[in-house]
Amino acid sequence: MGLFKSIRDGLNALHNKRGRNRQIDEELESFLGESINEKMRRGMTAEDAIRAARAEVGSVEVVKHKVWNAGWESRAERLWNDLRYTVRRLVRMPGLVIVVLLSIGIGVAANATIFSIVSKFLLQSPPVGEPATLVSVVRTYDHGRCCNGLPLPIVKDVQAQTQSLSGVAAYYELVPVAMGGGSKPERVWGQAATANFFDVLAATMTAGRGFLATEDKSPVIVLGYRLWQQKFGGDAGIVGKPLDISGHVYTVVGIAPKGFRGLDQVLDPQFWVPLGDLPDLTAKSPDPESRNIQWLRGVARLNPGVSRETAAHEMEVITGRLAKAHPDSDKNTGVALLKLGSLGRDEAAMKMFVLAVSIVALMVLLIACANVANLLLAQGAERQREMAVRLSLGATRAQLLRQLLLESLLLALGGGVVGVLLSMWATYALSSFRLPVPIAMDLSVRVDWRVLVYAFVLSMIAGVVCGFIPAWRASRPTMPNALKGEEALARPGRWWSLRGALVVTQITLSLVLLCASGLFLRSLRSAATIDVGFRSRGTVMMAIDPQLHKYTPERAVVMLRSVREKMVGLPGVMSATVTDGVPLSMGHRSDGFDVPGMPKPLGENIVELYMIAPDYFETIGIPLLSGRGIGDENPDAPKVAVVNEEFVRRFFQGQNPIGHTANDGDVPFTIVGVAKNTKSRTIGEDQRPVLYRSINQSIAKDPSQDGYTVMVRYEGDTSALTRAMEHEIHAVDPALAIFNTTTMEEHMRDALFLPRLVGTLFTVFGLAGVLLAAVGLYGVMSYTVSRRTKEIGVRMALGARAAQVQSMIVRGGMRLALVSLAIGLPLALAAARLTTSLLYGVQPWDIATFTLVPVLLIAVALVACWIPSRRASHVDPMAALRME
Amino acid sequence: MPDQPTDLIQGTLEMLVLKTLALEPLHGYGIALRIEQISQGAFRVNPGSLLPALSRMERAGHVKGEWRATENNRRARYYALTAKGRKALQSETENWGRQIAAINRILEA
Repeated sequence: MGLFKSIRDGLNALHNKRGRNRQIDEELESFLGESINEKMRRGMTAEDAIRAARAEVGSVEVVKHKVWNAGWESRAERLWNDLRYTVRRLVRMPGLVIVVLLSIGIGVAANATIFSIVSKFLLQSPPVGEPATLVSVVRTYDHGRCCNGLPLPIVKDVQAQTQSLSGVAAYYELVPVAMGGGSKPERVWGQAATANFFDVLAATMTAGRGFLATEDKSPVIVLGYRLWQQKFGGDAGIVGKPLDISGHVYTVVGIAPKGFRGLDQVLDPQFWVPLGDLPDLTAKSPDPESRNIQWLRGVARLNPGVSRETAAHEMEVITGRLAKAHPDSDKNTGVALLKLGSLGRDEAAMKMFVLAVSIVALMVLLIACANVANLLLAQGAERQREMAVRLSLGATRAQLLRQLLLESLLLALGGGVVGVLLSMWATYALSSFRLPVPIAMDLSVRVDWRVLVYAFVLSMIAGVVCGFIPAWRASRPTMPNALKGEEALARPGRWWSLRGALVVTQITLSLVLLCASGLFLRSLRSAATIDVGFRSRGTVMMAIDPQLHKYTPERAVVMLRSVREKMVGLPGVMSATVTDGVPLSMGHRSDGFDVPGMPKPLGENIVELYMIAPDYFETIGIPLLSGRGIGDENPDAPKVAVVNEEFVRRFFQGQNPIGHTANDGDVPFTIVGVAKNTKSRTIGEDQRPVLYRSINQSIAKDPSQDGYTVMVRYEGDTSALTRAMEHEIHAVDPALAIFNTTTMEEHMRDALFLPRLVGTLFTVFGLAGVLLAAVGLYGVMSYTVSRRTKEIGVRMALGARAAQVQSMIVRGGMRLALVSLAIGLPLALAAARLTTSLLYGVQPWDIATFTLVPVLLIAVALVACWIPSRRASHVDPMAALRME
Repeated sequence: MPDQPTDLIQGTLEMLVLKTLALEPLHGYGIALRIEQISQGAFRVNPGSLLPALSRMERAGHVKGEWRATENNRRARYYALTAKGRKALQSETENWGRQIAAINRILEA
């Protein structure tokens, strides 16, 4: 209440300033009057009494000032006055303000953008009830090594025996279905979860409900919020309606919370069905009774008051019991409880990446801060006289300091706003990077409230850091010099200045950044020219999944054959084929192989597996070296396969493999041909052994989870062709959902995402750094010129020619640039060594980069020095000397 | 004749004002006069410190100000103690007593 009254009175006083002053006046008046009365009562004469009373009271103005100072409002008012003064001052120098705002803005934007990644993947918790008491459950092996998925019986056993967990749920990460309900059937990714999933998560459904305990195998479905919005227009009436899911009739029972995407922050599932439905939706549903197949992700809710450690201890006891009961399967395994929102196996790599990029972003901010500090220092130097005058008129240092700091805080705030705007654009651009994988992932980032807070704090820190030193120095000028209008900060005899050091720091850091961006750009170019082994253009692809439409393997073979034949008939199509996976999709299927009668393979025996139809090698453009390709094979004949050169080198040590048998576990393949090497998972990888098998022969036993991609080599208009292809596929079966339509060019672009991402990031950062450094150097040089105007005038009066003056100024600036190069080059080389694993076909000590970048920097520095030096050479000696 | 009047001991002004007002409401000069009289001229309070103190105390809710006519028929602001001020006076007096006792103990040791 006291506070409230104080605020109210203060505001009243501020509002009615004149009234308050009158009040004080009146009170003083009466004080004086009473005092005079009293003194006269004691016998003084009127005149003496008045004089004595006046002496007692002292200056009316001082008293008034003191009374005002007793409340907070006077401080607020001073602050307000300072603020107004500062804004007026800043408005008068728009050039400086723009450069400062842009500098801080770029620095803050770089950091805020990186932080948006941290915010989304490391800090944000899913929209579930009390995420703090949720843990993710994984299986350990070899006495506690992390981490595997969970077999279903383990989930049930733990759920049955635990005292410390109130519920244990499990889910299958991603399952595709063909979903009806729109104009065309659509393939959608979702998750299959145990019936207690939404209960354990305590998720507040947008509409409807989660699964009932009895719905372990029921045809019910919960739709994701986004899918519900996009496909069903956010109509809550969909709840309770039937929906066609891969040819089965499901009932929509609920809509998931907004933003809910399961518990993984990277995957992007759009629906949830009970785990028991999985065999209906995919032919490869793992055996739910197996204690060996580790196919589920687990999530559990801790009982109130139970810590994760206590629960983990109980898990040891339970799994110990299970190991005794099921020694074949459970021995040496355990169950670990991890913090929710962990990225699991990828967490360490993700954190490293974010850390590395954060360091780079901080470097940009540092350059920006140095720039701002430099500009403010120059500003401060020009204001020496003003400061000195104010000091000698009775202003205190603290007052000057406060006002100067206010100025830099104001600038920082503006910079923060610019930074947030820039990073909104940057996160948008960053979100357009896609991974070349055929599953649903969400890597988009945006500026959320955490990013806003971060940007605000960062810009405030930047403002204080940049503002403090200049403010400190500006507030203590060398008085006599300053009053005369002379350079009051110059400390004669110093061969370096703070400002010079700042510029050197800037140029050094931007050299390091630019070298890195040079390396990554060269790497991107060479990655784009890496021979992937197949034709990277002129192919269009779209996928279908007969398994989602209840095709038997026999019918699927027939259907794929007729689709392929229809494709060949389209105008512009040269050849067509079908495969289960496109190369460079970051890993498809692979398995261990052995070749009977051959010595141990050179290196690992893991072989990349592709299923193909006739004309595959012709369509994708992989040359066959010997033997034949895969034709329209008889499903019941012995299985045939084509292998690549690396396979021959590894398993046959260069001997002719044709006619030999290679075993995938207990499945034998007869090798009928050898194809040239191709890149299989990523562009930068070393060659991997590849085995191509026939779709006809393998679709029954080992169907693809990603569907089958129809691949067409063509000439002509892409969009017309894709429309024609879709038309032909629907002519075969109108119910087929078509997905992942893309061209090989687009796919290659996505496949280059890593070098592209890193290259773009560093180029943006590097260029920003150079720009800032150039501005910094320019600022220092033009300040030097204006400071030395008199000296230059004397020199010219004594006969120095314009060219000589100009070269003197340029030399001074270039000395700073050369010092920076001498420091920066070794640093850049050291930093480049750290990037080795991210480079494709470029050495970390790439000569082109390390000669071009310094030359570029020198050129930029020359321009930054040359402009002010021109001004110096135009100094009129008479005018300069008359300045005295 | 008493020694030259001295400044108040730091931080005691508000306590003394509260004590003065405990008897009856007074205006600014009345407070100054009362303090000077009771201290037999040892303390003299000038308006430069009294008025800001009164303003602070009014803000804090310890006293309540009111315009009234004085016996000399002059408009003046009279200050009266509030319940909160009475409490503050009590706690400050106790505090002061403790401090004085402690200082005395140190000086006599």
